Amino acid sequence: MSGHGSHVENGIWMRAVMMGGIILTIGVLLFATLGIALADGKHDTWKQLEDDYHHEEEVLAAQGNITEAQAKHLVHMHHEEVDAHLSYLTYRVAGITILLMSITYAAFIGIGGFLNASKPQADHGDGHDEHEHHGSSSPIVFAFGIMLFLMGFPDFVVACKAMLSSDATADLSMLAISMLGLVTIVIAVSNWWFEDLPFVGHGEQIATSYPFEGEHIRKAGLWVFIMSEIMVFATFFSSYLRMRTEWCTDWAIRDGVEACKDVPEGTVVTASDLLRYDFGTLLPGAINTFALIISSYTIVLALKTAKNANWKPSTGFMGKLMPTRQAAVRNYLIATLALGSLFIVLKLVEWSHLVAEGFDIGTVQGSIFYIATGAHGLHVFIGLLVMLYLVFKADTVGFDEDNAQGIEYFGLYWHFVDLAWVVIFPAFYLY
Amino acid sequence: MGEHVEFMGKDIYFWNFIVLMFFTLFEVGAVFYDVVPGTDIAITKSAVWAILIIVGIIKGFGIAAFFMHLKDDPRIYTRTALFPVLFVLLMLWGIGLSNPAGVTDLPSWCTPNWDYATNR
Repeated sequence: MSGHGSHVENGIWMRAVMMGGIILTIGVLLFATLGIALADGKHDTWKQLEDDYHHEEEVLAAQGNITEAQAKHLVHMHHEEVDAHLSYLTYRVAGITILLMSITYAAFIGIGGFLNASKPQADHGDGHDEHEHHGSSSPIVFAFGIMLFLMGFPDFVVACKAMLSSDATADLSMLAISMLGLVTIVIAVSNWWFEDLPFVGHGEQIATSYPFEGEHIRKAGLWVFIMSEIMVFATFFSSYLRMRTEWCTDWAIRDGVEACKDVPEGTVVTASDLLRYDFGTLLPGAINTFALIISSYTIVLALKTAKNANWKPSTGFMGKLMPTRQAAVRNYLIATLALGSLFIVLKLVEWSHLVAEGFDIGTVQGSIFYIATGAHGLHVFIGLLVMLYLVFKADTVGFDEDNAQGIEYFGLYWHFVDLAWVVIFPAFYLY
Repeated sequence: MGEHVEFMGKDIYFWNFIVLMFFTLFEVGAVFYDVVPGTDIAITKSAVWAILIIVGIIKGFGIAAFFMHLKDDPRIYTRTALFPVLFVLLMLWGIGLSNPAGVTDLPSWCTPNWDYATNR
Protein backbone atom coordinates (compact mmCIF):
# COMPACT_ATOMS: atom_id res chain seq x y z
CA MET A 1 0.00 0.00 0.00
CA SER A 2 1.25 3.43 -0.82
CA GLY A 3 0.56 4.72 2.66
CA HIS A 4 3.96 3.69 4.01
CA GLY A 5 6.19 6.75 4.11
CA SER A 6 5.10 7.94 0.70
CA HIS A 7 5.80 11.53 -0.28
CA VAL A 8 2.63 13.23 -1.45
CA GLU A 9 3.18 15.21 -4.61
CA ASN A 10 1.20 18.43 -4.86
CA GLY A 11 -0.10 17.20 -8.20
CA ILE A 12 -2.08 14.51 -6.38
CA TRP A 13 -4.30 17.29 -5.08
CA MET A 14 -5.48 17.94 -8.62
CA ARG A 15 -7.26 14.59 -8.33
CA ALA A 16 -9.37 16.24 -5.63
CA VAL A 17 -10.39 18.88 -8.16
CA MET A 18 -11.29 16.09 -10.60
CA MET A 19 -13.24 14.31 -7.86
CA GLY A 20 -15.18 17.55 -7.26
CA GLY A 21 -15.98 17.70 -10.99
CA ILE A 22 -17.23 14.08 -11.01
CA ILE A 23 -19.44 14.71 -7.95
CA LEU A 24 -20.86 17.88 -9.52
CA THR A 25 -21.61 16.04 -12.79
CA ILE A 26 -23.43 13.25 -10.91
CA GLY A 27 -25.36 15.88 -8.92
CA VAL A 28 -26.42 17.80 -12.04
CA LEU A 29 -27.51 14.59 -13.82
CA LEU A 30 -29.55 13.43 -10.81
CA PHE A 31 -31.09 16.91 -10.50
CA ALA A 32 -32.03 16.91 -14.17
CA THR A 33 -33.61 13.45 -13.85
CA LEU A 34 -35.34 13.74 -10.47
CA GLY A 35 -35.78 17.47 -9.94
CA ILE A 36 -36.73 18.45 -13.48
CA ALA A 37 -37.87 15.58 -15.76
CA LEU A 38 -39.70 13.39 -13.21
CA ALA A 39 -40.80 16.32 -11.01
CA ASP A 40 -42.33 18.17 -13.99
CA GLY A 41 -44.35 15.07 -14.88
CA LYS A 42 -45.56 14.81 -11.27
CA HIS A 43 -46.33 18.54 -11.26
CA ASP A 44 -48.59 18.19 -14.31
CA THR A 45 -50.42 15.26 -12.72
CA TRP A 46 -50.89 17.23 -9.49
CA LYS A 47 -52.18 20.33 -11.30
CA GLN A 48 -54.64 18.20 -13.30
CA LEU A 49 -55.97 16.50 -10.14
CA GLU A 50 -56.15 19.84 -8.33
CA ASP A 51 -58.16 21.39 -11.20
CA ASP A 52 -60.47 18.35 -11.28
CA TYR A 53 -61.01 18.60 -7.53
CA HIS A 54 -61.80 22.34 -7.58
CA HIS A 55 -64.08 21.87 -10.58
CA GLU A 56 -66.00 19.07 -8.82
CA GLU A 57 -66.20 21.21 -5.68
CA GLU A 58 -67.74 24.11 -7.64
CA VAL A 59 -70.20 21.80 -9.44
CA LEU A 60 -71.37 20.28 -6.15
CA ALA A 61 -71.60 23.72 -4.49
CA ALA A 62 -73.82 24.94 -7.35
CA GLN A 63 -75.91 21.78 -7.11
CA GLY A 64 -76.81 22.44 -3.47
CA ASN A 65 -77.85 19.06 -2.03
CA ILE A 66 -74.91 16.65 -1.96
CA THR A 67 -75.41 12.92 -1.55
CA GLU A 68 -73.20 10.87 0.76
CA ALA A 69 -71.59 9.15 -2.24
CA GLN A 70 -70.77 12.50 -3.83
CA ALA A 71 -69.24 13.79 -0.57
CA LYS A 72 -67.13 10.62 -0.29
CA HIS A 73 -66.03 10.99 -3.89
CA LEU A 74 -65.00 14.63 -3.22
CA VAL A 75 -62.95 13.59 -0.19
CA HIS A 76 -61.35 10.84 -2.29
CA MET A 77 -60.46 13.39 -4.98
CA HIS A 78 -58.96 15.68 -2.33
CA HIS A 79 -56.79 12.85 -0.98
CA GLU A 80 -55.63 12.02 -4.50
CA GLU A 81 -54.73 15.68 -5.09
CA VAL A 82 -52.80 15.87 -1.78
CA ASP A 83 -50.95 12.61 -2.57
CA ALA A 84 -50.03 13.95 -6.02
CA HIS A 85 -48.73 17.17 -4.44
CA LEU A 86 -46.57 15.23 -1.95
CA SER A 87 -45.29 12.99 -4.76
CA TYR A 88 -44.29 16.09 -6.75
CA LEU A 89 -42.57 17.57 -3.68
CA THR A 90 -40.65 14.31 -3.16
CA TYR A 91 -39.00 14.46 -6.58
CA ARG A 92 -38.48 18.23 -6.68
CA VAL A 93 -37.00 18.49 -3.18
CA ALA A 94 -34.86 15.36 -3.68
CA GLY A 95 -33.49 16.79 -6.94
CA ILE A 96 -32.75 20.24 -5.50
CA THR A 97 -31.18 18.76 -2.34
CA ILE A 98 -28.91 16.48 -4.38
CA LEU A 99 -27.86 19.44 -6.55
CA LEU A 100 -27.08 21.69 -3.55
CA MET A 101 -25.23 18.89 -1.77
CA SER A 102 -23.15 18.06 -4.84
CA ILE A 103 -22.27 21.76 -5.29
CA THR A 104 -21.14 21.93 -1.63
CA TYR A 105 -19.20 18.65 -1.92
CA ALA A 106 -17.55 19.80 -5.17
CA ALA A 107 -16.72 23.23 -3.72
CA PHE A 108 -15.14 21.76 -0.57
CA ILE A 109 -13.07 19.02 -2.17
CA GLY A 110 -12.40 21.05 -5.33
CA ILE A 111 -11.31 24.31 -3.67
CA GLY A 112 -9.36 22.39 -1.00
CA GLY A 113 -7.59 20.38 -3.70
CA PHE A 114 -6.87 23.43 -5.84
CA LEU A 115 -5.43 25.44 -2.91
CA ASN A 116 -3.16 22.56 -1.92
CA ALA A 117 -2.09 21.84 -5.49
CA SER A 118 -1.05 25.51 -5.78
CA LYS A 119 1.17 25.38 -2.69
CA PRO A 120 4.97 25.17 -3.07
CA GLN A 121 6.24 21.58 -2.87
CA ALA A 122 6.76 20.69 0.83
CA ASP A 123 10.49 20.06 1.18
CA HIS A 124 12.07 21.36 4.35
CA GLY A 125 15.58 20.27 3.32
CA ASP A 126 16.59 19.77 6.96
CA GLY A 127 16.18 16.03 7.22
CA HIS A 128 13.08 16.57 9.31
CA ASP A 129 10.45 13.84 9.09
CA GLU A 130 7.59 15.72 7.49
CA HIS A 131 5.26 12.72 7.85
CA GLU A 132 5.37 12.96 11.60
CA HIS A 133 2.06 14.15 13.03
CA HIS A 134 2.65 17.70 14.31
CA GLY A 135 0.31 19.67 16.46
CA SER A 136 -1.77 21.68 14.01
CA SER A 137 -3.05 25.26 14.11
CA SER A 138 -5.76 24.44 11.56
CA PRO A 139 -8.47 23.51 14.13
CA ILE A 140 -8.05 26.90 15.84
CA VAL A 141 -8.23 28.73 12.50
CA PHE A 142 -11.26 26.58 11.61
CA ALA A 143 -12.99 27.50 14.89
CA PHE A 144 -12.20 31.19 14.28
CA GLY A 145 -13.80 30.90 10.81
CA ILE A 146 -16.93 29.35 12.33
CA MET A 147 -17.07 32.18 14.87
CA LEU A 148 -16.91 34.81 12.08
CA PHE A 149 -19.52 32.95 10.03
CA LEU A 150 -21.93 32.70 12.95
CA MET A 151 -21.39 36.36 13.90
CA GLY A 152 -22.77 37.44 10.54
CA PHE A 153 -25.23 34.57 10.14
CA PRO A 154 -28.36 36.19 11.65
CA ASP A 155 -28.32 38.80 8.85
CA PHE A 156 -26.70 36.54 6.27
CA VAL A 157 -29.93 35.10 4.86
CA VAL A 158 -31.70 38.48 4.99
CA ALA A 159 -28.83 40.13 3.10
CA CYS A 160 -28.79 37.32 0.50
CA LYS A 161 -32.54 37.70 -0.06
CA ALA A 162 -32.21 41.49 -0.34
CA MET A 163 -29.38 41.16 -2.87
CA LEU A 164 -31.37 38.68 -4.96
CA SER A 165 -34.25 41.13 -5.15
CA SER A 166 -31.86 44.03 -5.94
CA ASP A 167 -32.69 45.72 -2.65
CA ALA A 168 -30.09 48.44 -2.00
CA THR A 169 -30.78 48.41 1.75
CA ALA A 170 -29.05 45.05 2.28
CA ASP A 171 -26.69 45.04 5.28
CA LEU A 172 -23.53 44.00 3.47
CA SER A 173 -21.26 44.32 6.52
CA MET A 174 -22.78 41.24 8.15
CA LEU A 175 -22.75 39.41 4.84
CA ALA A 176 -19.07 40.28 4.46
CA ILE A 177 -18.27 38.93 7.94
CA SER A 178 -20.06 35.67 7.14
CA MET A 179 -18.28 35.33 3.80
CA LEU A 180 -14.93 36.04 5.47
CA GLY A 181 -15.79 33.28 7.94
CA LEU A 182 -16.57 30.86 5.09
CA VAL A 183 -13.28 31.69 3.34
CA THR A 184 -11.39 31.16 6.63
CA ILE A 185 -13.15 27.80 7.11
CA VAL A 186 -12.23 26.63 3.59
CA ILE A 187 -8.56 27.72 4.01
CA ALA A 188 -8.34 26.06 7.45
CA VAL A 189 -9.91 22.83 6.20
CA SER A 190 -7.70 22.64 3.11
CA ASN A 191 -4.61 23.28 5.25
CA TRP A 192 -5.78 20.62 7.72
CA TRP A 193 -6.07 18.13 4.84
CA PHE A 194 -2.64 19.20 3.55
CA GLU A 195 -1.11 18.38 6.94
CA ASP A 196 -2.97 15.08 7.32
CA LEU A 197 -2.65 13.56 3.86
CA PRO A 198 1.02 12.48 4.15
CA PHE A 199 0.45 11.09 7.66
CA VAL A 200 1.35 7.42 7.67
CA GLY A 201 0.80 6.68 11.33
CA HIS A 202 4.23 7.39 12.81
CA GLY A 203 4.60 9.96 15.59
CA GLU A 204 1.03 9.97 16.92
CA GLN A 205 1.09 12.29 19.92
CA ILE A 206 0.56 10.57 23.27
CA ALA A 207 -0.96 12.20 26.35
CA THR A 208 1.51 12.34 29.24
CA SER A 209 -0.72 13.34 32.11
CA TYR A 210 -3.84 12.20 33.96
CA PRO A 211 -6.57 11.23 33.09
CA PHE A 212 -5.69 10.23 29.50
CA GLU A 213 -2.07 9.26 30.23
CA GLY A 214 -0.72 6.94 27.53
CA GLU A 215 -3.67 7.49 25.20
CA HIS A 216 -3.55 9.12 21.76
CA ILE A 217 -4.19 12.84 22.17
CA ARG A 218 -6.40 12.96 19.06
CA LYS A 219 -8.60 10.16 20.39
CA ALA A 220 -8.89 11.76 23.84
CA GLY A 221 -9.74 15.11 22.20
CA LEU A 222 -12.37 13.43 20.06
CA TRP A 223 -14.02 11.90 23.13
CA VAL A 224 -14.04 15.25 24.95
CA PHE A 225 -15.65 16.74 21.82
CA ILE A 226 -18.25 13.94 21.82
CA MET A 227 -18.89 14.65 25.50
CA SER A 228 -19.74 18.27 24.63
CA GLU A 229 -21.97 17.05 21.80
CA ILE A 230 -23.87 14.78 24.18
CA MET A 231 -24.63 17.89 26.26
CA VAL A 232 -25.88 19.77 23.18
CA PHE A 233 -28.29 16.99 22.21
CA ALA A 234 -29.30 16.45 25.85
CA THR A 235 -30.39 20.10 25.90
CA PHE A 236 -32.62 19.61 22.85
CA PHE A 237 -34.01 16.38 24.23
CA SER A 238 -34.73 17.73 27.71
CA SER A 239 -36.47 20.84 26.34
CA TYR A 240 -38.62 18.56 24.15
CA LEU A 241 -39.34 16.26 27.09
CA ARG A 242 -40.24 19.25 29.26
CA MET A 243 -42.88 20.38 26.78
CA ARG A 244 -43.98 16.93 25.62
CA THR A 245 -44.97 15.81 29.12
CA GLU A 246 -47.34 18.77 29.29
CA TRP A 247 -48.92 18.58 25.82
CA CYS A 248 -52.37 17.01 25.46
CA THR A 249 -51.76 15.19 22.20
CA ASP A 250 -54.52 13.10 20.60
CA TRP A 251 -52.71 9.99 21.80
CA ALA A 252 -52.73 11.24 25.42
CA ILE A 253 -56.43 12.17 25.15
CA ARG A 254 -57.41 8.76 23.72
CA ASP A 255 -55.30 7.01 26.33
CA GLY A 256 -57.37 8.72 29.05
CA VAL A 257 -54.69 10.94 30.60
CA GLU A 258 -56.48 12.72 33.48
CA ALA A 259 -55.09 16.21 32.79
CA CYS A 260 -56.31 16.04 29.17
CA LYS A 261 -59.90 14.89 29.73
CA ASP A 262 -61.45 18.28 28.80
CA VAL A 263 -59.12 19.00 25.87
CA PRO A 264 -60.57 18.39 22.37
CA GLU A 265 -58.59 16.22 19.94
CA GLY A 266 -56.43 18.08 17.44
CA THR A 267 -55.47 20.85 19.90
CA VAL A 268 -51.79 19.87 19.94
CA VAL A 269 -50.30 18.25 16.84
CA THR A 270 -46.74 16.90 17.00
CA ALA A 271 -44.61 15.68 14.10
CA SER A 272 -45.11 12.10 15.29
CA ASP A 273 -48.91 12.56 15.02
CA LEU A 274 -48.43 13.30 11.32
CA LEU A 275 -45.80 10.64 10.71
CA ARG A 276 -46.35 7.46 12.68
CA TYR A 277 -49.86 6.33 11.64
CA ASP A 278 -49.23 5.85 7.93
CA PHE A 279 -46.62 3.60 6.30
CA GLY A 280 -45.88 6.18 3.60
CA THR A 281 -45.23 9.04 6.02
CA LEU A 282 -43.17 6.96 8.44
CA LEU A 283 -41.10 5.43 5.62
CA PRO A 284 -38.48 8.23 5.13
CA GLY A 285 -37.69 8.32 8.88
CA ALA A 286 -37.54 4.52 9.05
CA ILE A 287 -35.31 4.28 5.95
CA ASN A 288 -33.07 6.96 7.47
CA THR A 289 -32.72 4.93 10.66
CA PHE A 290 -31.67 1.86 8.70
CA ALA A 291 -29.38 3.98 6.48
CA LEU A 292 -27.50 5.33 9.52
CA ILE A 293 -27.15 1.87 11.09
CA ILE A 294 -25.89 0.39 7.80
CA SER A 295 -23.50 3.35 7.37
CA SER A 296 -22.16 2.71 10.88
CA TYR A 297 -21.45 -0.86 9.82
CA THR A 298 -19.82 0.12 6.49
CA ILE A 299 -17.40 2.47 8.25
CA VAL A 300 -16.55 -0.34 10.68
CA LEU A 301 -15.87 -2.56 7.64
CA ALA A 302 -13.64 0.18 6.16
CA LEU A 303 -11.64 0.35 9.41
CA LYS A 304 -11.46 -3.44 9.74
CA THR A 305 -10.26 -3.78 6.14
CA ALA A 306 -7.65 -1.01 6.57
CA LYS A 307 -6.27 -2.67 9.71
CA ASN A 308 -6.14 -6.17 8.21
CA ALA A 309 -2.63 -6.65 6.80
CA ASN A 310 -3.62 -10.15 5.59
CA TRP A 311 -6.68 -8.95 3.70
CA LYS A 312 -7.57 -11.01 0.65
CA PRO A 313 -10.25 -10.20 -1.97
CA SER A 314 -13.47 -12.22 -1.92
CA THR A 315 -14.51 -14.37 -4.83
CA GLY A 316 -17.41 -13.43 -7.09
CA PHE A 317 -19.05 -10.02 -7.39
CA MET A 318 -17.57 -8.55 -4.19
CA GLY A 319 -14.10 -9.57 -5.39
CA LYS A 320 -14.62 -7.62 -8.62
CA LEU A 321 -16.00 -4.64 -6.72
CA MET A 322 -13.12 -4.64 -4.24
CA PRO A 323 -10.08 -6.19 -5.94
CA THR A 324 -7.51 -4.61 -3.59
CA ARG A 325 -7.45 -3.55 0.04
CA GLN A 326 -7.15 0.10 -0.98
CA ALA A 327 -10.19 -0.20 -3.28
CA ALA A 328 -12.15 -2.01 -0.55
CA VAL A 329 -11.49 0.72 2.04
CA ARG A 330 -12.36 3.44 -0.48
CA ASN A 331 -15.57 1.69 -1.60
CA TYR A 332 -16.76 1.09 1.96
CA LEU A 333 -16.22 4.81 2.62
CA ILE A 334 -18.09 5.72 -0.59
CA ALA A 335 -20.96 3.49 0.57
CA THR A 336 -20.98 5.36 3.91
CA LEU A 337 -20.96 8.69 2.06
CA ALA A 338 -23.86 7.57 -0.17
CA LEU A 339 -25.94 6.37 2.82
CA GLY A 340 -25.30 9.62 4.72
CA SER A 341 -26.28 11.63 1.64
CA LEU A 342 -29.47 9.55 1.34
CA PHE A 343 -30.23 10.48 4.95
CA ILE A 344 -30.03 14.23 4.16
CA VAL A 345 -32.15 13.90 1.00
CA LEU A 346 -34.89 11.93 2.77
CA LYS A 347 -34.79 14.29 5.74
CA LEU A 348 -35.50 17.32 3.53
CA VAL A 349 -38.17 15.43 1.56
CA GLU A 350 -39.86 14.58 4.86
CA TRP A 351 -39.61 18.22 6.04
CA SER A 352 -41.19 19.42 2.79
CA HIS A 353 -44.12 17.02 3.34
CA LEU A 354 -44.59 18.23 6.92
CA VAL A 355 -44.49 21.90 5.88
CA ALA A 356 -47.01 21.15 3.08
CA GLU A 357 -49.30 19.67 5.72
CA GLY A 358 -49.06 22.87 7.77
CA PHE A 359 -46.52 21.68 10.36
CA ASP A 360 -43.99 24.50 10.20
CA ILE A 361 -41.46 26.11 12.54
CA GLY A 362 -44.03 28.69 13.71
CA THR A 363 -45.41 26.44 16.47
CA VAL A 364 -43.68 25.29 19.66
CA GLN A 365 -43.98 21.67 18.49
CA GLY A 366 -42.57 22.57 15.07
CA SER A 367 -39.79 24.72 16.51
CA ILE A 368 -38.33 22.01 18.76
CA PHE A 369 -38.78 19.34 16.07
CA TYR A 370 -37.01 21.28 13.31
CA ILE A 371 -34.25 22.60 15.59
CA ALA A 372 -33.45 19.16 17.06
CA THR A 373 -33.68 17.16 13.83
CA GLY A 374 -32.03 20.01 11.91
CA ALA A 375 -29.08 20.13 14.32
CA HIS A 376 -28.71 16.38 13.90
CA GLY A 377 -28.92 16.71 10.10
CA LEU A 378 -26.24 19.41 10.22
CA HIS A 379 -23.97 17.03 12.15
CA VAL A 380 -24.56 14.36 9.49
CA PHE A 381 -23.76 16.85 6.72
CA ILE A 382 -20.54 18.07 8.38
CA GLY A 383 -19.59 14.40 8.80
CA LEU A 384 -20.16 13.87 5.07
CA LEU A 385 -17.78 16.72 4.20
CA VAL A 386 -15.08 15.05 6.32
CA MET A 387 -15.92 11.71 4.71
CA LEU A 388 -15.24 13.25 1.28
CA TYR A 389 -11.66 13.84 2.38
CA LEU A 390 -11.37 10.30 3.75
CA VAL A 391 -12.55 8.93 0.38
CA PHE A 392 -9.93 11.10 -1.31
CA LYS A 393 -7.18 9.92 1.03
CA ALA A 394 -8.27 6.29 0.65
CA ASP A 395 -8.09 6.71 -3.14
CA THR A 396 -4.68 8.40 -3.23
CA VAL A 397 -2.38 7.75 -0.25
CA GLY A 398 -4.47 4.92 1.16
CA PHE A 399 -5.20 3.64 4.65
CA ASP A 400 -3.47 0.66 6.23
CA GLU A 401 -2.82 -0.86 9.65
CA ASP A 402 -0.48 2.04 10.53
CA ASN A 403 -2.58 5.08 9.65
CA ALA A 404 -6.13 3.74 10.05
CA GLN A 405 -6.66 6.04 13.05
CA GLY A 406 -8.12 8.63 10.65
CA ILE A 407 -11.03 6.28 9.91
CA GLU A 408 -11.25 5.12 13.53
CA TYR A 409 -11.52 8.63 15.00
CA PHE A 410 -13.93 9.85 12.35
CA GLY A 411 -15.89 6.62 12.92
CA LEU A 412 -16.34 7.58 16.58
CA TYR A 413 -17.99 10.82 15.49
CA TRP A 414 -20.13 9.01 12.92
CA HIS A 415 -21.28 6.40 15.46
CA PHE A 416 -22.15 9.23 17.84
CA VAL A 417 -24.36 10.77 15.14
CA ASP A 418 -26.04 7.34 14.82
CA LEU A 419 -26.39 7.16 18.60
CA ALA A 420 -28.06 10.59 18.71
CA TRP A 421 -30.53 9.39 16.06
CA VAL A 422 -31.30 6.33 18.22
CA VAL A 423 -32.70 8.82 20.76
CA ILE A 424 -34.21 11.37 18.34
CA PHE A 425 -36.06 8.88 16.11
CA PRO A 426 -38.26 7.24 18.79
CA ALA A 427 -38.75 10.52 20.70
CA PHE A 428 -39.73 12.73 17.77
CA TYR A 429 -41.10 10.25 15.23
CA LEU A 430 -42.58 7.34 17.13
CA TYR A 431 -43.70 8.67 20.52
CA MET B 1 -10.52 -5.80 19.41
CA GLY B 2 -14.00 -7.10 18.78
CA GLU B 3 -13.20 -8.59 15.38
CA HIS B 4 -11.28 -11.42 17.08
CA VAL B 5 -14.43 -12.68 18.83
CA GLU B 6 -16.34 -14.73 16.28
CA PHE B 7 -19.72 -16.47 16.41
CA MET B 8 -20.90 -18.68 13.53
CA GLY B 9 -17.99 -17.43 11.44
CA LYS B 10 -18.93 -13.74 11.79
CA ASP B 11 -17.36 -11.11 14.03
CA ILE B 12 -19.06 -9.16 16.81
CA TYR B 13 -19.58 -6.12 14.55
CA PHE B 14 -21.71 -8.13 12.15
CA TRP B 15 -23.91 -9.53 14.93
CA ASN B 16 -24.19 -6.09 16.52
CA PHE B 17 -25.35 -4.76 13.16
CA ILE B 18 -27.98 -7.54 12.89
CA VAL B 19 -29.24 -6.86 16.44
CA LEU B 20 -29.52 -3.12 15.71
CA MET B 21 -31.48 -3.77 12.51
CA PHE B 22 -33.81 -6.23 14.28
CA PHE B 23 -34.59 -3.90 17.17
CA THR B 24 -35.19 -0.97 14.82
CA LEU B 25 -37.79 -3.07 12.97
CA PHE B 26 -39.25 -4.04 16.34
CA GLU B 27 -39.66 -0.44 17.57
CA VAL B 28 -41.19 0.75 14.30
CA GLY B 29 -43.61 -2.23 14.42
CA ALA B 30 -44.54 -1.53 18.04
CA VAL B 31 -45.73 1.95 17.10
CA PHE B 32 -47.31 1.00 13.80
CA TYR B 33 -49.65 -1.66 15.21
CA ASP B 34 -52.51 -0.85 17.60
CA VAL B 35 -52.79 -4.49 18.70
CA VAL B 36 -50.28 -7.33 18.84
CA PRO B 37 -50.61 -8.94 15.35
CA GLY B 38 -52.80 -12.06 15.44
CA THR B 39 -54.27 -11.24 18.87
CA ASP B 40 -56.68 -8.79 20.51
CA ILE B 41 -54.03 -7.53 22.93
CA ALA B 42 -53.90 -3.73 22.68
CA ILE B 43 -50.52 -1.97 22.60
CA THR B 44 -51.07 0.91 25.03
CA LYS B 45 -49.26 4.25 25.17
CA SER B 46 -47.38 3.12 28.27
CA ALA B 47 -46.37 -0.14 26.58
CA VAL B 48 -45.05 1.76 23.55
CA TRP B 49 -43.16 4.10 25.85
CA ALA B 50 -41.60 1.16 27.68
CA ILE B 51 -40.69 -0.59 24.40
CA LEU B 52 -39.08 2.56 22.97
CA ILE B 53 -37.00 3.15 26.10
CA ILE B 54 -35.84 -0.49 26.40
CA VAL B 55 -35.06 -0.79 22.68
CA GLY B 56 -33.27 2.60 22.81
CA ILE B 57 -31.07 1.40 25.68
CA ILE B 58 -30.24 -1.86 23.84
CA LYS B 59 -29.41 -0.03 20.61
CA GLY B 60 -27.44 2.66 22.42
CA PHE B 61 -25.43 -0.01 24.26
CA GLY B 62 -24.75 -1.86 21.00
CA ILE B 63 -23.43 1.25 19.25
CA ALA B 64 -21.41 2.60 22.20
CA ALA B 65 -19.99 -0.70 23.46
CA PHE B 66 -19.12 -2.40 20.17
CA PHE B 67 -19.06 0.12 17.30
CA MET B 68 -17.42 2.82 19.47
CA HIS B 69 -15.22 0.19 21.19
CA LEU B 70 -16.04 1.40 24.71
CA LYS B 71 -16.27 -2.21 25.85
CA ASP B 72 -12.58 -2.88 25.07
CA ASP B 73 -11.13 0.64 25.44
CA PRO B 74 -9.73 2.00 28.73
CA ARG B 75 -12.43 2.96 31.25
CA ILE B 76 -11.53 6.67 31.04
CA TYR B 77 -13.37 6.87 27.69
CA THR B 78 -16.54 5.39 29.19
CA ARG B 79 -16.29 7.87 32.08
CA THR B 80 -15.84 10.72 29.59
CA ALA B 81 -18.92 9.59 27.66
CA LEU B 82 -20.97 9.23 30.83
CA PHE B 83 -19.88 12.54 32.39
CA PRO B 84 -22.69 14.54 30.71
CA VAL B 85 -25.22 12.20 32.34
CA LEU B 86 -24.86 14.37 35.45
CA PHE B 87 -26.10 17.34 33.45
CA VAL B 88 -28.86 15.27 31.84
CA LEU B 89 -30.06 14.28 35.32
CA LEU B 90 -29.96 17.92 36.41
CA MET B 91 -32.04 18.90 33.39
CA LEU B 92 -34.53 16.11 34.08
CA TRP B 93 -34.78 17.41 37.65
CA GLY B 94 -35.41 20.85 36.15
CA ILE B 95 -38.26 19.37 34.12
CA GLY B 96 -39.84 18.20 37.36
CA LEU B 97 -39.46 21.63 38.94
CA SER B 98 -40.79 23.63 36.00
CA ASN B 99 -43.64 21.31 34.98
CA PRO B 100 -47.03 22.30 36.45
CA ALA B 101 -47.44 18.73 37.63
CA GLY B 102 -44.28 19.23 39.66
CA VAL B 103 -46.27 21.21 42.24
CA THR B 104 -48.57 18.37 43.18
CA ASP B 105 -47.45 15.12 41.58
CA LEU B 106 -43.74 14.87 42.35
CA PRO B 107 -42.48 13.61 45.70
CA SER B 108 -41.68 16.37 48.18
CA TRP B 109 -37.95 15.55 48.34
CA CYS B 110 -37.40 16.78 44.79
CA THR B 111 -39.51 19.94 44.93
CA PRO B 112 -38.69 23.21 46.64
CA ASN B 113 -40.88 24.66 49.36
CA TRP B 114 -44.06 25.22 47.32
CA ASP B 115 -45.97 26.36 50.43
CA TYR B 116 -44.16 29.67 50.16
CA ALA B 117 -45.48 30.16 46.62
CA THR B 118 -49.08 29.24 47.46
CA ASN B 119 -49.45 30.84 50.91
CA ARG B 120 -47.60 34.14 50.61
